[in-house]
Amino acid sequence: MQNAKDSFYIALRNRLAALNPERTILLRGAIRPGILVEDAEAPFPQLPSDVFVVRWLGHGADIEIASTLVAEECEIVYGTCGCQTYGGLDRGRALSQMDGELLAILQPFSTPKLRFASQPPGAMLTQVFWDEPVFSPAVAQRDRLTRSAKVMVYSYQEEGE
Amino acid sequence: MTAMCFSTPAPVARRVRAYFAPVNRAAQQPVLFDPGPQGWFDLDNPPAPWLNLGFIQNFVRKASSKSSAIAAGIPAAPLEQVRESIGAQVSLQFLAWTKLSMALATASQHMNMIAPGAPSAAVRSDSTASTIVLSAGDAAGFSAGQIVAIDHDYSGQTGYVGSPINGAYLRQPLTDVDYLRRITFNTGLVAQVTGSTLRLAQALAGGAPESGVKVQAIAGFVDREGGSFYPEWSGLFVMEGVQGERIIFHYPRLQPMASAEESALPLAAKGQGRLERVILNAQFLALPVTDPLDNERIVCYRSFLPAPNALV
Repeated sequence: MQNAKDSFYIALRNRLAALNPERTILLRGAIRPGILVEDAEAPFPQLPSDVFVVRWLGHGADIEIASTLVAEECEIVYGTCGCQTYGGLDRGRALSQMDGELLAILQPFSTPKLRFASQPPGAMLTQVFWDEPVFSPAVAQRDRLTRSAKVMVYSYQEEGE
Repeated sequence: MTAMCFSTPAPVARRVRAYFAPVNRAAQQPVLFDPGPQGWFDLDNPPAPWLNLGFIQNFVRKASSKSSAIAAGIPAAPLEQVRESIGAQVSLQFLAWTKLSMALATASQHMNMIAPGAPSAAVRSDSTASTIVLSAGDAAGFSAGQIVAIDHDYSGQTGYVGSPINGAYLRQPLTDVDYLRRITFNTGLVAQVTGSTLRLAQALAGGAPESGVKVQAIAGFVDREGGSFYPEWSGLFVMEGVQGERIIFHYPRLQPMASAEESALPLAAKGQGRLERVILNAQFLALPVTDPLDNERIVCYRSFLPAPNALV
């Protein structure tokens, strides 16, 4: 499933960079598109604002078919305090913008599966695919608005996985 | 060289897309789809004359062909099978109300409502499917946001009328000069009026206007319960699998067989609101054609285009 998870993240990262190049994060000394995988970074005392944080949750497999189908539940968490120019009064609008961006980068609902063990990544034979997102209600914590969306990501296991 | 391949289980698909093309009723000529050369067509831009109806839901195919066994011997045992009848039905729900989806969802004639007092204006021959050229004076009578219908003046003809999409069958002549614009499928929304040109927001279903046609503003659409006309279309339904495979169902001749009927789909979960989406229900009877390949009579084709590198 690791290739599928990596491919999913890279697809979302590339789509976000194309959709809104200004949504970035300074991470480990490099400016990157504003989306990261929580379990591939150092633990955060508080999740960064105005970026998408990809979090992997449940795992399942269907082995009764020609190729094993694996599934992993993905939660994408994002929050914002709005911008300083408006004293945070635009945090609702900023969250709406992130809602729209997330919905946009999740489409199309599939991406080619790549193997990231080598550079450049090698194309595999199948597609990683996922379902429509289910958005949670927004949560207000002082001046910060947070929301998450859950997506079930699927992949067929290929030879060598 | 070794082929890279994988075993793929049953296709996983999200939704079904629908495409329809008009059957030439006078010539009894359906539109045949050949999945060999055409199967990988751009799903957003189907090849002419197929019209994209977008995504549909609750797509159900039901075969009604019947077979029986010929028994022989004592005691009797099946010797052969024979096909007693062939038939099929298709039902689905359209997710949008348009001229075409309304017309497909009723087993009756579908009409345009001429706007009150709307005059007709001659269309110049340099018009295209999405740009209607008039005289400057006539164009001033139209405005952006209007819906227009484009067809000839009615001049007493009978039989199948409406071109290139037959919209009605007349057994006797009428006196209504606007009749063809009432039943035409060449309708569109005016996006912009500049000088003598009406720019349409979408291309006309029948393509570029024929010479001598007129344009007239319409207010909306209407269908009736009853009547004797059954429209006929060629149908194409595509399921796109997540691995890139395609399942294509082609019905060369489909006639709507159910009266106009709608379903209400609540927008929110039960008990969380009263808003409902009104969805058009459609049900079709498949009619037979003779397959030019081997002269067999058939009602539909199911094609499968496997995913790249998938074992078959």
